[in-house]
Formats: sequence, C-alpha cells, structure tokens
Amino acid sequence: MADILTLAQGAGCFATLLTAVEVAGLTGALASPGPFTVFAPQDSAFAKLPPGTITTLVQNPPQLGRILTYHVVAGRWSQADLKAVPYVESLEGSRIWIDGSHGFEVNNATVVAADIEADNGIVHILDTVMLMGR
Amino acid sequence: MILEVQAKIPPSKHRYAEIIHRLEAGGSMLPDSPENLMQIIGIYKAYAVPMDFYWRDLLYIAEREFLNPLPFFKYFLPQEYLDLPNHYAGETADLRIWRGGATAHPELLEFMAKGETGKLPRILHHLWHDRINMEFAEACMRAMLWHRHMCAPFNKFDAYLDTPEYRSNCDRAIRAYFAKNPLMMGLYRAFPEMFMEQCRQASYYSNLGLFWEVMAPVFFEMSDIYDEGGFNGVPDAMNFLVNGIFAVAGRPIYHHVYIDGQCMEIIPKSKGFTWLYEAALPYVEAVFYRTAPFRGTKSYNAQAKQVPEHQADFHFGILYADVFPVGSAGIPPTLLMQDMLHFLPPYLEEFYQQRCRGEEDKLIQLGITFQRSMYNVTSAVIQALRAALFYPLDDPNPHHLQANRRFFETQMDRFLRPEARLMDIQTPEYR
Repeated sequence: MADILTLAQGAGCFATLLTAVEVAGLTGALASPGPFTVFAPQDSAFAKLPPGTITTLVQNPPQLGRILTYHVVAGRWSQADLKAVPYVESLEGSRIWIDGSHGFEVNNATVVAADIEADNGIVHILDTVMLMGR
Repeated sequence: MILEVQAKIPPSKHRYAEIIHRLEAGGSMLPDSPENLMQIIGIYKAYAVPMDFYWRDLLYIAEREFLNPLPFFKYFLPQEYLDLPNHYAGETADLRIWRGGATAHPELLEFMAKGETGKLPRILHHLWHDRINMEFAEACMRAMLWHRHMCAPFNKFDAYLDTPEYRSNCDRAIRAYFAKNPLMMGLYRAFPEMFMEQCRQASYYSNLGLFWEVMAPVFFEMSDIYDEGGFNGVPDAMNFLVNGIFAVAGRPIYHHVYIDGQCMEIIPKSKGFTWLYEAALPYVEAVFYRTAPFRGTKSYNAQAKQVPEHQADFHFGILYADVFPVGSAGIPPTLLMQDMLHFLPPYLEEFYQQRCRGEEDKLIQLGITFQRSMYNVTSAVIQALRAALFYPLDDPNPHHLQANRRFFETQMDRFLRPEARLMDIQTPEYR
C-alpha cells in the first residue's frame, strides 16, 4: 500500500491540493507515519472558490496551512466510524461536523468517494473545500 | 444577478420571510432600487477616503507609537505612512482590487492640507477638530477589544493574546521600547498587567488597520465601477463584496512593532491568523451589531436592564442605531458622519440638498444612507458565510436548501428586536 501523498499523486484529481500542500510545507507531514484521516478536496472543489481566494492563500503559506490542516484529523476514521459521531476535531483545532442522514456529508461537503486506504491513514474525497465556522 | 427561486421548499414563516426569500434569491437585505444603489455606492466612496487615513494611522499607532505614555501626536501621520503602499491597490499590489494608486488618496491629502478652514498649521487643524476624526477609528478598535472572546473558538487571534508566547513577545518589546526610560520600566515591574493590556490594545490597532487596508480599495473600486455604469443593481454591489471577502480571506493578520528601526514581531504572520476569521468577522460582530451605548446619546438605566446583562446581547451598532440622537458632537458615529461629509460625490450631495431639510440635516441623511449601506455589507457577509459554510442558492438538494433557510432565519432573528432598522430601510421614505 502507498502512503497518502503517493496515493494522491497517482489519483490525477488532486493537482491543486498537492500544490497547496507543497506551498504550505506540509508534504513531509502527509508522508509521515500518522495515521491521519484526510478529507481531500478534488480539483473541481478548489475551482468553485471565487477568484483570488487561492492566490491570496498561496501568497501566505501559514494561512494556507491552516485551511489545509482543517481537512486532516488524527487517527484512522472510516466512513462507519465517522457516521457514529456528531463531529471530529481537526488538526487545525476546529470541529468538522458529520452528517450521515442523507448520504455521507462533512460540513457542507459531500464525500464523493470514501474509505480509500493508505499506509499512513485513510482518505475521503470531497466535492467542496471546507471552511471553519460552522 | 437574481436567481429564479424554484419552489423546492415551502415558504418561510419567519416575520421577515420576504427578506429571507430575497436572500435565497441572491439578493440583499437592502431592496434593489436605483436610488438605493446610488446612495450606498456614494457613501462607500465618502467612507473610503477617511478610511484611507484610518488604516494608515491605526498601523502607525500599533507599529510606532506603541506604548507611548504621552501620545499627543499619534494622529499626526508621518509622510512614510501616507506613502505606505496599500497591498490591494496600485502597481505593486499583492492582489489589485482598486485600479487607483497605492499611496494616500489625493482627496485625503487635499483635505489634510486645507480642511474646512483653509491652509493653517497642522496643530491648529488638530485642535480645531478640522481634520479626520481618528477617534471614530479608535472607538471601533475599542469595541473589538472590549467584546473579546465574541468569535471563539474560530477567532484564534484573540485567544493568542492570553498565551505565554504572546506575553513573552510583549515583554521583549516593552523592555526594548522603554530601554532608556527607567520610570516606565519601574512602572512595568509594578503593574505588568496594565502594560500587557496596553499591548493587547495595540494589537487590536494593528488588527483593525489591516482590516481596513482592504476595505478602502474595495470601496474605491466599487465607486469607479458605478461611475462607469458597471453595477446593474444592489445585488451586483453585494456580490462584488462577497467576492472581495473570499479573495482576501487568507490575508495575514499580525502585529509588528518597530523600535529603533528594528522590527519586533509581537504577533508573527506565521501564526496563520487570517483577515476573515480574525478581523472581518469580529469587526462585523463588534461594530455592526454590538458596540456599546455611546456617552451623550441617551440615558440608559442599567438597573432597569436597559443595558443588557450579557455582552452578546448588546445591540448598539449601526444596524440598530437611531441616527438622530446619535448626531451630537463627539459621539463616534457622528465623527464618522462628519468625516464622510467632506468627501461626498456630487450626485449624493445633490440628492441630500433636494430632500428633507437640505443642507441643515445632511449629517442625519448621510447617516441613514450609511445605515442602508451597512445593511448591504452585512448582507454580503451573510451571503459569504452561506457560501463558505452552507450550500449554493441553486442547490438541487432540498435538505441543503432547508439548511440555507435555517441559516438565513437565524441571521434574521438578530433583527427581531425593536431597535433594528431592517424594516425602516425597506422604504425610501426612511431618511
């Protein structure tokens, strides 16, 4: 099995996410033993953000890093584990709310593919970039 | 663009159902009319010019005046800060929001030179109050400081001000700042907490300065777009603000102090604090909604519970203000009205001359226009939060539309109290 980083590199739908991870200096962290649960927004999720949003974040790596770490949770949380709890705490410190009542949703994002296993964790693919505040 | 609402969920039963349905259709709390559009854009322009002074001076006070115990000249902005390039205007911008220049606005410089009374020494302009009223900006900063913890846990800037790391950064800066002042060092040893609180206040000076550094070019650009005929209605103006909020959401909020030419980082950029979470949202909450009763406007009896027991219930902001009694000398909102009066575009000037008591109640008229314009800014914040935390307005999933509805209804609940001006701004007669 590959680690989360290698898995994302091979998937072909995470170009923006991988660039962001690199700019924020989090590449090493994603290849570390973990384990982590990563809610990974696909390229189309980033494309939905209004113009300029990514430009400003890329100019400011610590701020970008904060948004990215909001998408990571310590431990290996499968879809079934997540649906059993109301929320999980992200590495950024804010809560991610889980809603399993209509499909599998986290905050305002829909999980389009769940439970992708990696050496150092598990990946759930999102259709929307999550922001703190809910 | 207003979306056609598809009847996927039943109509709201909220008292402000009509406004909620308008928000769900992509509109603003402020009704869409050419008169409203003209008023709000005109006042944004009149607000942006003094704001160009406010943000520069707020940063000057945070970075240079810092803990000066006798800050008599803190409003005397040095040339260096008038020339400070705005990060969101001009050729060198990080992200160019306004097509104009990066240094102080020409109308601001012209007013600073002459004021209303003519060309006089700066000290006379200052003492005669013929100047930009920085006291208004400081009142906003103090509202943010006083309402600390209001946006916890998302506002991490605020929590940081109580950490040992922040205290140690302040300690280093205080020791460097008063290195040649044994009296102040002695006072620091005797009353360290007082100095820490002054540092927190200075950090909020920086916070608000960095917040307004963005808003000034946003408002200048909106004025230019309107002059070119670029906005078709109030929702266009609101959407420009929504896009602006997203575009600069990740801008760092920090506090640097310059002592003997050396930069000391009291709150480093590397903490990851952002414009949206650590400045914009706390600002809207503290200034638009809460603030505090202004001295001299009206007598409140705290024992009779005329002043709320909990800070979260405070409702003295512009969205609730009765502009008429506020219009007295020395009251922060009046100071802003006086500042905006100097920079009204000709079309708004003419509009006020033809209405109410013309010249005589122009401050009140522009105060009410400002209230309308801030309902539009608040609408932009509400729509931006809806987009960031909830769902698109044309989402095909009814559960998502219902979640949007609950969000809008919760926001409108804040205007159920009688002081809210939401219903007043629905009619053009409210002037």
